[in-house]
Amino acid sequence: MNVELTDLNRKFGHTRAVAGVSLEAGPGVFGLLGPNGAGKTSLLRMMATVLPPTSGKLRLLERDPGSYGPRREIRRRLGYLPQNLGYYPGFTVADFVEYFALLKDMPPGQVPRAVAAAIEHVGLGDRARSKLRTLSGGMLRRAGIAQAIVNEPELLLLDEPTAGLDPEQRVSFRALLRDFGQRSTVIVSTHLVEDVAAACTEVMLMDAGRVVFHGTPGELIARGEGHGVGDAPLERGYSAVLAAARS
Amino acid sequence: MTGWDEPMSGHREAGPAPGDVDLDRVWLGVAAQVWRRRPGPAERAAGRLLRSPGLARALVTTPSLLLGWVIATVVILLAGAGIALGTGTPWVALLAPAVAAAGIAYAYGPGIDPAWELSQSMAVSDRMVLLVRALAVFGLNAVLGLAASAASGAAAAVTFGWLVPMTAVCALALATATVTKSPNVGVAAGSAGWVIALLSGKAADGQFTAAITDASFVLPYLALAVCCAAVVLFVTRIPRGTR
Repeated sequence: MNVELTDLNRKFGHTRAVAGVSLEAGPGVFGLLGPNGAGKTSLLRMMATVLPPTSGKLRLLERDPGSYGPRREIRRRLGYLPQNLGYYPGFTVADFVEYFALLKDMPPGQVPRAVAAAIEHVGLGDRARSKLRTLSGGMLRRAGIAQAIVNEPELLLLDEPTAGLDPEQRVSFRALLRDFGQRSTVIVSTHLVEDVAAACTEVMLMDAGRVVFHGTPGELIARGEGHGVGDAPLERGYSAVLAAARS
Repeated sequence: MTGWDEPMSGHREAGPAPGDVDLDRVWLGVAAQVWRRRPGPAERAAGRLLRSPGLARALVTTPSLLLGWVIATVVILLAGAGIALGTGTPWVALLAPAVAAAGIAYAYGPGIDPAWELSQSMAVSDRMVLLVRALAVFGLNAVLGLAASAASGAAAAVTFGWLVPMTAVCALALATATVTKSPNVGVAAGSAGWVIALLSGKAADGQFTAAITDASFVLPYLALAVCCAAVVLFVTRIPRGTR
């Protein structure tokens, strides 16, 4: 298992952002759904080793991120796209991806080719030498995805990756997710249920820090039959589960 | 590898490759060489010294070591030197710790380093990035101190009287910026600490310059620097994955 969470909790003062989440995930594309404030980003940040849990057990790529050596090894094999991607406006796309490839401790000799491959992978080849400040929001998001995949990660964590992407780009992005999901664990936090329906093999729905549903997209759709609100079957399942959890 | 739109977007127009040549692979090799950033002499030297190309790249992206910042620092210190020559008061030494404290506080952190959160998830430790950047800012300011003291002829006494308080005030700024995760608060704390040191110097013997000329301040400065370094180490300690 690439991800093993046992009764994971995270508090910010008196606010409990993540409350007793347990999860096991191997290769595949895993969708993390939920309303604003559900705890998706906090959970993803813990899995990215950016935020330590308040309590509970966390194992990533069969290692304990609480110790320096294993955490460093996890980070070498991790790809992370935060919700708010910061960037250096004066960097080119290639500079940006190369910077994070180096910080991921990739062997320097492999970096130029890996950078070129990642940039081509997200379709930014014709903008590789463009400064980041000249790119649109969707292109910046793709540059962020390129840095996340530059090291061919075994664990890929993406927080709202399709924000700012147009419909055509989102279709291409889902293909990329499915491709990575064949050999890696991909966890995608999103508000967009259509992304989950198209690309994910498993879904976890969170509300108020708790997991209120865990299953396949088909099972979530089944939960919405005859219930819930929404235009698409998955949206009806989403709203039915949330309504049941809150009642 | 499957691509975003097509693998190797924009380079498919060439059509089928002659023989068994994989044009995608060829293009990747070309792109890798065309797009790669050639590190400058400073980055190459830092890479060899630190044995980490990632740390070296993080070093040359330090917000408060970028050219604009360095020029502003030099201009402030040159202005201080000009006034010092006219008035006889060591304004360079009095200004320098506050300037250096701001440089240290703006070395790394949220709101200052755009990629701060992303950097925290990298194999090269963000603590190492912080330490290397802080050391680089100290180093630059030490060089400026030596140059200024040599130019003004005040030599070793001023440099010593400058660098020790500067170290203490910078450590205070760094510790505060790290604890509060706010470089602005770090600058405020460093500057306030320096003003208090100046005022206490004045209270001691009626002279502002006592803060940099009174040898009895050296030990308190060093003690403060050590305490602040301990605070930084504690705040940036390796977090436990489980508790």
